[in-house]
Amino acid sequence: MAMRAAILRHIRLPARAQTLAGPRSREWSLPGSSASRSMSSHGDDHLTKEEVVERVLAVVKSFPKVDPATVSPDVHFQNDLGLDSLDNVEIVMALEEEFKLEIPDLEADKIDSCRLAIEYIYNHPMAG
Amino acid sequence: MSTAAGAAAAVATSAAGYLTRRAAQKERVRILYRRALKDTLNWAVHRHLFYQDASDLRERFEANKHVEDLDTIDRLIADAEASYNKWRHPDPYIVPWAPGGSKFTRNPTPPSGIEIIYDYGREDND
Repeated sequence: MAMRAAILRHIRLPARAQTLAGPRSREWSLPGSSASRSMSSHGDDHLTKEEVVERVLAVVKSFPKVDPATVSPDVHFQNDLGLDSLDNVEIVMALEEEFKLEIPDLEADKIDSCRLAIEYIYNHPMAG
Repeated sequence: MSTAAGAAAAVATSAAGYLTRRAAQKERVRILYRRALKDTLNWAVHRHLFYQDASDLRERFEANKHVEDLDTIDRLIADAEASYNKWRHPDPYIVPWAPGGSKFTRNPTPPSGIEIIYDYGREDND
């Protein structure tokens, strides 16, 4: 019993010795990290314009009736891409699924081109 | 319902009333198609089933694409809306933060006159 305690004490000691050496060897050199919360993910959910454009173009390019080479951020779905009004509805639904938005029916009816879609999504507070 | 049929009919009878009626019908059709497509997604959650049902829905819309007569179009739209109302899903997927979703008004912002005093336990004893 006493031998067991002695062995345990002996095994515990090296671990404590290591932790004393650990923090001193690692320099905490990030500037301003004590003032700012460096590991917080608060406030990073606003999409940047480039990200919105990127994702909107990816959705439109993956539409089977669209030729990916003709897609640009200024393209109009019915005039430039030769799509139908029902295809327009399908694209808006795909954008809703991509950005986890719920667009009211009358607003969704007005989204006719990539430019409008990007504007709407960028200005939407809940765009994911 | 297609832009080509609308343009041809507009050249033939260019009454403003006709055009506004056609435009209103086109909007009803678009909104109906949007709701029917969302409903299809509610019923057929797995994507391969959804794509199948979505193409069937699109076929049904395309079959009536070239109808010219206003009253026939109105009747078709009314029938389609009735069948949509019959087939609506009882528990549709709504995005959580939207009205009807699970996170709606979960954490409303408190009214503006209220202040929280951060005492951290320093009560009347000190």
